[in-house]
Amino acid sequence: MILVIAEQQQGTLNRSSLETVAAAQQTGADVTVAVLGADVSMVTPALALAKVSEVIAVQAPALEAYTLDGFVAALVQVVQAEKPDHVFLPHTYQTRDFAPALAVALGMALVTDCVAARWQDGALVAVRPMFQGRLYADVAPTGAALVTFQIGAVRADSLVPGATPAPIRIATIAIDASAIRQQPEAPFREAKQAVDLTQAERIVSVGRGIKDQDKIELARQLASAMGAELGASRPICDAGWLPMDRQVGSSGQTVAPKLYLALGISGAIQHLVGMKGARTIVAINKDPEAPIFEVADYGIVGDLFEIVPALIKELQG
Amino acid sequence: MKIAVCIKQVPTRDWQPRANEDRTWVRDQDASFELNEPDAYALEEGLRLKEKHGGEVVVCSAGPARVAQALREALARGADRAIHVEDDALAQGDAFAVAGALAFAMRDEQFDLVLTGLQSDDQGFAQTGVVLAGTLGIASATIIMEVDVRPGAVRVKRELEGGWFQFVTLPLPAVLTIQSGINQLRYATLKGIMSAKKKEIRKVAPPAGVPSRQRIISLYVPEKKKRTQMLAGTAAEAAGQLITKLRDEARVIS
Amino acid sequence: MHPVEVWLFRIVVLAFAAAFAAQIATRLRLFLRASNNLRVPDGESGVRLWRVVREVVFQSRTIAERPLVGLAHLGVFWGFCAFALFTGVEFLRGLGGPDLTRTEWFGTYALVLVPFAFAVLVGISGLIVRRVFVRPPALGDHLSKESVLIGFFILTLMVTFLLDFVLAEGTGARINWWVHALVILSFMAVIPGSKHFHLLVSPLTVYLRSSTLGTVPNLDFEREQVGLETLKDVERKQVLDAFTCVECGRCQDNCPAHATGKRLNPKTLILQNEDALLAGNLDVKLAEVFDASVLWQCTTCGACENQCPVGVEHLPLVVGARRGLVSNGDAPDALGAVYNHLERRGNIWGLGADLRQKFVQSAGLEIFDATRHQYLMWLGCAGAFEADFQKSLRSLFEILRSRGVTFGVLARERCTGDVAKRTGNEYQFQELARANIDDFKAAGVTRILTSCPHCLRTIGVDYKEFGYAVEIVHSSALVAAITRDVSVPVAGTVTFHDPCYLGRYSGITEEPRALLQRFGASVAEPVRHGANPFCCGAGGGLLFEEHEDGRRISQERLEQLLSTGATTIVTACPFCSIMLKGAQASANSTAEFVDLMTFVEGRLKTVS
Repeated sequence: MILVIAEQQQGTLNRSSLETVAAAQQTGADVTVAVLGADVSMVTPALALAKVSEVIAVQAPALEAYTLDGFVAALVQVVQAEKPDHVFLPHTYQTRDFAPALAVALGMALVTDCVAARWQDGALVAVRPMFQGRLYADVAPTGAALVTFQIGAVRADSLVPGATPAPIRIATIAIDASAIRQQPEAPFREAKQAVDLTQAERIVSVGRGIKDQDKIELARQLASAMGAELGASRPICDAGWLPMDRQVGSSGQTVAPKLYLALGISGAIQHLVGMKGARTIVAINKDPEAPIFEVADYGIVGDLFEIVPALIKELQG
Repeated sequence: MKIAVCIKQVPTRDWQPRANEDRTWVRDQDASFELNEPDAYALEEGLRLKEKHGGEVVVCSAGPARVAQALREALARGADRAIHVEDDALAQGDAFAVAGALAFAMRDEQFDLVLTGLQSDDQGFAQTGVVLAGTLGIASATIIMEVDVRPGAVRVKRELEGGWFQFVTLPLPAVLTIQSGINQLRYATLKGIMSAKKKEIRKVAPPAGVPSRQRIISLYVPEKKKRTQMLAGTAAEAAGQLITKLRDEARVIS
Repeated sequence: MHPVEVWLFRIVVLAFAAAFAAQIATRLRLFLRASNNLRVPDGESGVRLWRVVREVVFQSRTIAERPLVGLAHLGVFWGFCAFALFTGVEFLRGLGGPDLTRTEWFGTYALVLVPFAFAVLVGISGLIVRRVFVRPPALGDHLSKESVLIGFFILTLMVTFLLDFVLAEGTGARINWWVHALVILSFMAVIPGSKHFHLLVSPLTVYLRSSTLGTVPNLDFEREQVGLETLKDVERKQVLDAFTCVECGRCQDNCPAHATGKRLNPKTLILQNEDALLAGNLDVKLAEVFDASVLWQCTTCGACENQCPVGVEHLPLVVGARRGLVSNGDAPDALGAVYNHLERRGNIWGLGADLRQKFVQSAGLEIFDATRHQYLMWLGCAGAFEADFQKSLRSLFEILRSRGVTFGVLARERCTGDVAKRTGNEYQFQELARANIDDFKAAGVTRILTSCPHCLRTIGVDYKEFGYAVEIVHSSALVAAITRDVSVPVAGTVTFHDPCYLGRYSGITEEPRALLQRFGASVAEPVRHGANPFCCGAGGGLLFEEHEDGRRISQERLEQLLSTGATTIVTACPFCSIMLKGAQASANSTAEFVDLMTFVEGRLKTVS
């Protein structure tokens, strides 16, 4: 049996948890899901819709806010009670915080950042990238293991739904709140006094191809539709069309967002060094020879004044 | 403050790894090595804390003899002394083997704070710091952006997903894994390099009986290679393709 | 002369001589305690003596840059020399020695001096008027009273000399003689403490000036050298430079930073050094003497040093002081990032070697094989990663292939270390240089071809310090040599921007022009060109510093180029191209840029 630890924040289930359940299902083993919190009744029904043996609500007042010690204490009890062959978790920031400590406490192996898992010759084999993704490794843990899965590696829509909702059980656990060493404060979003592109997850950036100051509005609309910040190459900021704190480049800001969409930017080296760290780069430029296409993951050669409105339409429709 | 910074020496990012004969490890005889970049940020943070609060920064690493080069680099940047657990096998060790070795070497030192990078550029486990904390029996927090030292405690700013942050206070001694890019790395100055030659690197033999808890059974090149996908067609068609790819393939929009 | 007069004169001479000696002693002490960096390479002494004859005796530099002023100065200088014997004889008489003034040869000599006296009079009057009334900016806002005083001294000397011919023997003549003598003695006493010290020091500094622009020798780490941190570290040549500076302002006039309103002023640096040395506190940091931020405004274009008529070398002082700062971790943030890139990835932008590999493959380049290839093609950082420059390299490869020149590239390149050297990160420079030299030797390289003037200078000159000498040629020179048979009718006007590291540092100015003309372009020259171009602003690490005080240097140069009326600007350096195109983008101008190689390839295609 594989035990999946799902993650929830204030009553909202983290989407990657469903991906992890799917990964567990794909090994062919029976799957049990556990989720921690003070009151998880808002998320357990969604988990119960998947084809799993049961959903365990691990509830305790001490689990209201995430703490390493609280979660490890709770999960040690759950794992010792349920005795799974392996435990799967999504490779979220929260998991990265406590999973190694849990592995130490349980004396289990821990294989992180995996993209797949399967049974091979009666034992679990997990697949994970190494050397910046240049090589992949099939890894065999010694005995029972915690296995964390890369966000997005397994598709949530590959989750197999159950014929009927799985049973939900509330687990009895005891946590000594006084033994919890961490004192967390409430999570917050940074009050944006200035634009900090280095923290943006997505950036839509404009270059000389935008031609006119008023046309920047089009880029702004696309950014908004995508949940992205607006950035620019140097000539745009030099001309005063956008403020300096939006400049991406070797002197402006060096950014590493998940998505960088370059509109009408040629890709001169001073700009390139500022954004080459982006995970996914999209370039839209009417010059097929523009250097930006060298580093782009996706490229469209064409008129941005036609393509951008089409993109906005796709995102909103 | 007595600060330990645990670093790893990894092959340079440019190096093209190739599996060895039995595919259980890479052929690293021809590789060049460097200080793991995330650890460089941890070192920088350690040096800044020392400048602010006084004390010493001791840089620790486990691995083959060549690791001494990375330790010298750290000393050249300003660390005061180094501890080297010398063991060829630890180059391939998992977090438990490495953390076990480091904990063993650090056991008499009574560090107030232990800093490590987020993860290593080669194996990328992102575990060693927290496993080290568990082995030493001290508190830990990960993906730290800011460190504020208080009497007997430290208040840190954790990075969460999606642009959220959180402050957490934990008692010292503690292990913190430091987020990359939070500060400007200092370069090794000429004076630093000269004085590094005179600083101590204490060699420690590895402890017995701290095995890895996983092994690689096969290393291979993945199918997907990075290539620019050019999307053609009318504006509407290309736009449609792009959104689909961003949503399903790259998974950068929802 | 009356005995009392003689004794009086002896006392007066002694007093002034003592004043003179005391000042000389101070300066000599400063010179002797400084570390000895004076070296004349073997076999160069003859060349250098000839240089002293040309530049000191015949004032070639002062006349070349400012003809009228230079000639006036020549007149004053030769007059001064011509009068030496006269003064000597008169003083001999005054001190009670033999009186040769009645001899026939002296009488003739004195007559011969008369035209010199007039020459000096005219010269010095013109120079006084220039300094007091015309007030050229090179001389600064402040009217130098000391210079005016010296001017009047010289004037007085000539007037009293000429008066002597018309004054009859008697009190008038005696007074005239004493005035003349006292002025000479005052002049002597003022010399050490004024810019007129150059009278004594400049032949030395002209002789000792390196034959290569911007000579900044390697630091010796075995001897724990870290660069110039405090005044104590300033070396002997720099002490001499401080005393020899004539405050003419030629360096200031040619400095691109100064011309665009920045605080950097090469003349001020030399004078600040002098003032600080004489103030006596040698423990003061150079960062305080010069104000460190000013040191980071220098592009190392070399215009200052190149223009100096008295052999002052500004670059070793600037780079030396930068070394002192960098050794202590005080480099500007933008450069700190570059140093990290160089350390991690071996190139200035921190990009991955796989990007270079992509270019090597797509350009169909072969890996260098000494048995098959005539040249090692050195791409450099820009060649490896900068897409625009790669276009020009592709043109170069086409030209070479069409002319049967064989070449290959190294499998892996790392930066030559130019930026590290010019910004004072000597440790990194030496690491990169040694590793590159090892690679060259291992590959059996004997001839290198490059399109980057910075690589040209660094490999061709700076690597010699490691005992490594290799033949290296810039693409413009090689292509000029292999296309001599071609001639294309003139079609259009272009302007050419000489890169500082090509025109000024390496003396390559004719070949690019020959190419342009041969391939049918008429070349319109901007105000500063050839061996004295106006910098694009990229050198000395400033490529990475995007904030500039005052106007942008690249902007200034772009305007100079556009003023020629040409709508096509030809470049021959990747960094000039980056800077000028950046200026163009910000200025919204429509000038076309083309690299020299792309221009040639385009025209070559029309011929073949």
